[in-house]
Amino acid sequence: MSQRIPNILLSLLTAIFAITWIFPVYWAIATSIKHEVDVTSKNTEIVPTSMTLIEYVRVFKESNILTWYINSLGTSILITLLVIIISMMCGYALSQLNFPGKRVLWWMVLASIMVPTTALVIALFVLIADFNLINTWAGIILPQIISPVCVVVFKQFFDAVPRELREAAILDGAKEHNLLLNLYFPMSFGITAALAIVTYIGAWNQFWWPFIMTTQEEKFTVTIAISSVQDAFGVRYAREMALAVLAGFPVAAAYLVFQKKVTNALMMTSGIKG
Amino acid sequence: MKYKREEIVYALVLIAPFILAYTLFLIYPTIYQITLSFQKAPLVGTGEWIGLENYSKLINDKLFWKALSNTGVFVLWTVVPNTLLGLMFAMMVIRHRPIFQAVILACFFIPHILPVTVVTEMWTWLLSKQFGIIQEILDAFDTKRINFFTSRYWAMPMVAFITIWWTIGFNIVLFIAGLRNINPEIYEASEMEGASRIKQFRYITWPLIWPVTALVLTLQLIFQMKIFDQMYLLTGGGPFNSTLVVLQLVYNKAFQNNDGGYAAAISLVLFGIILMTSILQYQVLKKQED
Amino acid sequence: MKKGLLALASSILLSLPMQAMATTEVTWWDFLGGGDGVRMKSLIEQFNTSQSDVKINASTLQWGVPFYTKIQTSAAVGEQPDIMTYHLSRFPLAVPTGILRPFSAAELSSVGLGPDKYFPANWEAANVDGKTYGVPLDIHAMVLYYNKDLLGKAGLLNSNGLPNLDGVANFTAGLRKLKDNGAEYGASLATADGGTVWRLWYSMLNQINGAQFISGKSVCPADNCANVTAQITSWVGEELISSETAYPDAIALFTSGKAAMHFNGVWEVPTFTDLSKNDKLGFEWGAVRIPVMYDKPATWADSHAFAVPHSDRKPISQEKLQAVLKVISWMNQNSLFWATAGHIPGYKPIVDSAEYKKMEPNATYAVLAENAAFDPKSKIAGVASPVYDAIQNFILPSVNGQLESEEAIEMMKETLEPQIE
Repeated sequence: MSQRIPNILLSLLTAIFAITWIFPVYWAIATSIKHEVDVTSKNTEIVPTSMTLIEYVRVFKESNILTWYINSLGTSILITLLVIIISMMCGYALSQLNFPGKRVLWWMVLASIMVPTTALVIALFVLIADFNLINTWAGIILPQIISPVCVVVFKQFFDAVPRELREAAILDGAKEHNLLLNLYFPMSFGITAALAIVTYIGAWNQFWWPFIMTTQEEKFTVTIAISSVQDAFGVRYAREMALAVLAGFPVAAAYLVFQKKVTNALMMTSGIKG
Repeated sequence: MKYKREEIVYALVLIAPFILAYTLFLIYPTIYQITLSFQKAPLVGTGEWIGLENYSKLINDKLFWKALSNTGVFVLWTVVPNTLLGLMFAMMVIRHRPIFQAVILACFFIPHILPVTVVTEMWTWLLSKQFGIIQEILDAFDTKRINFFTSRYWAMPMVAFITIWWTIGFNIVLFIAGLRNINPEIYEASEMEGASRIKQFRYITWPLIWPVTALVLTLQLIFQMKIFDQMYLLTGGGPFNSTLVVLQLVYNKAFQNNDGGYAAAISLVLFGIILMTSILQYQVLKKQED
Repeated sequence: MKKGLLALASSILLSLPMQAMATTEVTWWDFLGGGDGVRMKSLIEQFNTSQSDVKINASTLQWGVPFYTKIQTSAAVGEQPDIMTYHLSRFPLAVPTGILRPFSAAELSSVGLGPDKYFPANWEAANVDGKTYGVPLDIHAMVLYYNKDLLGKAGLLNSNGLPNLDGVANFTAGLRKLKDNGAEYGASLATADGGTVWRLWYSMLNQINGAQFISGKSVCPADNCANVTAQITSWVGEELISSETAYPDAIALFTSGKAAMHFNGVWEVPTFTDLSKNDKLGFEWGAVRIPVMYDKPATWADSHAFAVPHSDRKPISQEKLQAVLKVISWMNQNSLFWATAGHIPGYKPIVDSAEYKKMEPNATYAVLAENAAFDPKSKIAGVASPVYDAIQNFILPSVNGQLESEEAIEMMKETLEPQIE
């Protein structure tokens, strides 16, 4: 009996924490649907009494947001595809095949997890410039296609597949590429999807690298555009918040739809589960 | 070890793309930056060989040490609080029914999903000295309004707090996974022996969750030493360089002062420090486990 | 033979319209946001639609250090724009770094431009060591925006409806009166923005007889700098001017009526014009030259110029250069529209024109051009320079009450003087 009351208290406390934690996001959305005039004059109004979507309309009409969305979408999807394909192939090889230098490769993969790629930005910048890929999608995408973590997860996943399945398939006449394409790959749909979503979100949210190497507005991703582009004027808080909401919305929506997969992926990449 | 020819061919095909990308975008830049750090060179182009001069300049550079200490201070402000709070929230989350868990977890995790620019825009608005709603709360408590990002005392803690707000979701998820792995029967048994909640935490939860805690601490340490994005966006290194972190110094030297060689040296030193610290920390934590 | 000639003739004929249709694309970078940005985008559109030889592809980047940094890195890798806007105050700093490509007199005269078309001081600023590195577009300064209704109520308008706030004691009294009459602040100033504080501070410094910012190798030789700093600090301390205010917030204070006056550059004129036009302002507004606080009138001013970045990796081609010159010439000739952004055009023929003389509120403050105080011509000065950094690091905290004014000046001297060559 005496344990019950603390439970309710605990739930209340949890709820308060949760609400406080999400409040800034709510506040940004609330600000973005207020009239600009109300934003500064009634700035303590928690629930907007008079709402409007005009700032969103303005963002679409007066800024390049569609271009930026396309850049974000395009680069994120391509990065995700490339990362998944390359990591899966490498992880499979490390797991199922025997070849000279396998040990070395595995240690290289593990070691690279600790490499702060942000510190290599100078060399990457010069490299991409030498290939004339500044301000191109290729320039944004290429340095981001290495994901040692994905390789590790794929390898561990493939390791866990019972060998009997492999041997049975070989007896049925399957060649190596059949094994990968028709056996292992379909089995991995779950974690592939999870890794893909996490990679996609990570690619969308990238700031440092696209910021350094994109200089033309039409090539900006939406993530860097909202802090690099200055074209609103006067009093513009509602509009800024609308832009921020639009920038964060796609990934937030992806998360909400795939919530379970995302959390599973995180747990797997940290090796705690699965 | 006998290698089947066919297998080797397959393997090479499969690992080739990764190795190509790895060599081109990891190994080559690292070597390039190492050689660059021994030159007096602009950002783009070659320079003259000056040996260890950049490194000795670095050791005598007050700004470098300031940046290093700022990074250290930032790590102190974030790593431990982020981990402990993450554990606390995780424990609060799993006490509820699964459907509530999903909702509560979403509240903590959505910030983590957002790009850093969205986070900084939101918080700049929240903390705006003239119109931010947080300032209204300060008014209610009858205290003076503060411009957090231009204040020598508040800038660093505030960026740290925003970082915690932004990234705690990740830690919570990891802790939830770890907590779920603990057999509930252990708790039931201890309850029957009359153990209080606090005792349960100290003798059951904490030791059993330790591997996850160690992992989170290590990951946090690595992440926060690499900090740049939100610091650059919120304070730009000011005021008085009180929030200038090492990567910002690298950026300034490389892209503003066009001193590529020196910037490369600084970034390599940071690289080395991160490597050593994470290895060290991992060993220390592993020892504690035994 | 005849067939061959026919073939030759027809191929020439066929190729001619093709050549006429080939459009040269010019990559343009500017840092013009806000009301400036809207007006410039409109000008660019007008240019593009008015002819088909040259097409401008414009990008607007972040003002200040980020802009100049991006120019530098792009030029290093050969990705620089063909034409950019540049602050004249920064030329002494920029020219030695080799980032600017000089124009030859022949190149300029080929599109009808030359020193005779600009004000002497302005043209001077665009030249370093006898070479012309930029073509001025405008002169922009800081002005005092005021709420006609609030000032009228406080009895601070003269018979012409203009504020009479000259003299520092008089100005201070005016600020107090405005507060007494219900305003939250007498005036708003972006006291968290180094650039804005510099503009007011420098204006006031130049209003003192004999005051110098840089004299030889010395910064702030007398105690004028400390006095000006202390004066602004006292206004902020008495809450006559808002403290630690971010740039957009300072504007919002004025537009919401909480601050009766507002110190800012002329580039915010479109902000208030447009709000007023859409009935969103709620009061009558005006703009005047900054009051004469001390001995003589003086107003900080800088100038936007067009320049061509220099790159060793990929120098600009002759074709693009011709296109760029066409753009610059057109922009100058059409700078009357640019003046609606509050600026004073650099192109003399426009300034002397009847239409410009009628333009408001420009006409009210046009007199400031006679006493424009440009940034010191020094390597340490100009936008995104050590001076700007020093103002942000020392004067700003002092004005907001965190550092004594003498100490701030001392620290500024310590930082800047070693950098003077």
